[in-house]
Amino acid sequence: MTEQIIYFSLEQFSQQVPLAPEHIVEIVHLGIVEPAGREQRNWQFDIDMLATARQAWRLHRQLEIDWPGVALAMQLLQQIDDLKRENERLRAQLRRFIVID
Amino acid sequence: MEFKDYYKILGVDEAADDKAIKSAYRKLARQYHPDVSTENQAEEKFKEVTEAYEVLKSPEKRAEYDELRKYGQGGRFQPPPGWQSAGGGDGYYEGDFSEFFSSIFGNRGGDAGFGGFQRGAGGGRSYAIKGEDIETELPIFLEDTLSEESKTIEYHLPQVDAQGRRVKVAKTLKVKIPAGVSDGERIRLKNQGGPGYNGGANGDLYLRIRLVPHPLFDVQGHNLLVTVPIAPWEAVLGAKIVVPTLEGKVNITVPANSQAGQKLRIKGKGLQTKTGRADLFAVLKIVVPASSDAAAQAQWQALQEASQFNPRADWQ
Repeated sequence: MTEQIIYFSLEQFSQQVPLAPEHIVEIVHLGIVEPAGREQRNWQFDIDMLATARQAWRLHRQLEIDWPGVALAMQLLQQIDDLKRENERLRAQLRRFIVID
Repeated sequence: MEFKDYYKILGVDEAADDKAIKSAYRKLARQYHPDVSTENQAEEKFKEVTEAYEVLKSPEKRAEYDELRKYGQGGRFQPPPGWQSAGGGDGYYEGDFSEFFSSIFGNRGGDAGFGGFQRGAGGGRSYAIKGEDIETELPIFLEDTLSEESKTIEYHLPQVDAQGRRVKVAKTLKVKIPAGVSDGERIRLKNQGGPGYNGGANGDLYLRIRLVPHPLFDVQGHNLLVTVPIAPWEAVLGAKIVVPTLEGKVNITVPANSQAGQKLRIKGKGLQTKTGRADLFAVLKIVVPASSDAAAQAQWQALQEASQFNPRADWQ
């Protein structure tokens, strides 16, 4: 029952998000999700891409941001997330050597 | 139930026009959007704001709401007897709106759910709809990532009760967590999400793995770091010491003249990867006794007099 590696075709992915195929194609072209497979008919999406596409759709719909704006927002959000994690990790390590606030 | 003042929630005047309402919503949505906001209870506030906008942006719903608002100014709210919402319901609940909202507008969700999909012709009420997918975080101890683990998880499923209200039902499930999961990774449990409607399949449950911080080990990719305190003489003379790993202890050799912060690799004692085991690194930390007696002090003194070492040579 536990599944780790699952791939969706464009059609399956479109139903899962759910977001119409033409929008999926657009967010792929903008680099928001990067499926495996060169040709559109061979695209394979994984479950992390599903979460990413859903987030993109939420931002597009709920904040009324156009797709290129969503791509930029998501890139910046990812950078913030990476920096936060890096910061947490370094602080945890540093705390073992010195007293920090 | 509690009366919701949608004008107050959006911070607009009763007479506000569509443009002012839209502008107020956009500003608050950006402020509280759960994907973006760092504010406390952003999600709750965002839902409130969305619900307020859902009502006030639609002339039909707004008119209905304005009518009812006359009854509810005191705080507690009961719809007047025989109140019938003017619009029909879609037969299933899509938006995550309050009891107050559904008492007025029934099951009419927003136009929120389907990106560019047609929702079925003529307000059709019988088409099958897949249940909601649920994502929840699953904290995992580092020790538990080394082998396949069975874990009992508890999560909440959205359901619609007999009165058409949206409720959360607790559910427990025993799941097998595969060996070698990493932080942030997702696992899908098919059909364990929200119930489908009109014969539609259940949604799926997604577990997002979160590695719990460990008192001894820090995670760096798949490698682990353990900070090892050593005495100054162990650093200078070298030593054989015992270091903890995720499974038992190992003996390692600290080479002579080791520096603080130096890393010693212990092969194959890191986290499980898809192909094998990553490494554990012992990071040396030189610690000095909290106090020393006269005899020890005399020995340090002798060392100081004999040594030419200048630790701040680089500053010159």
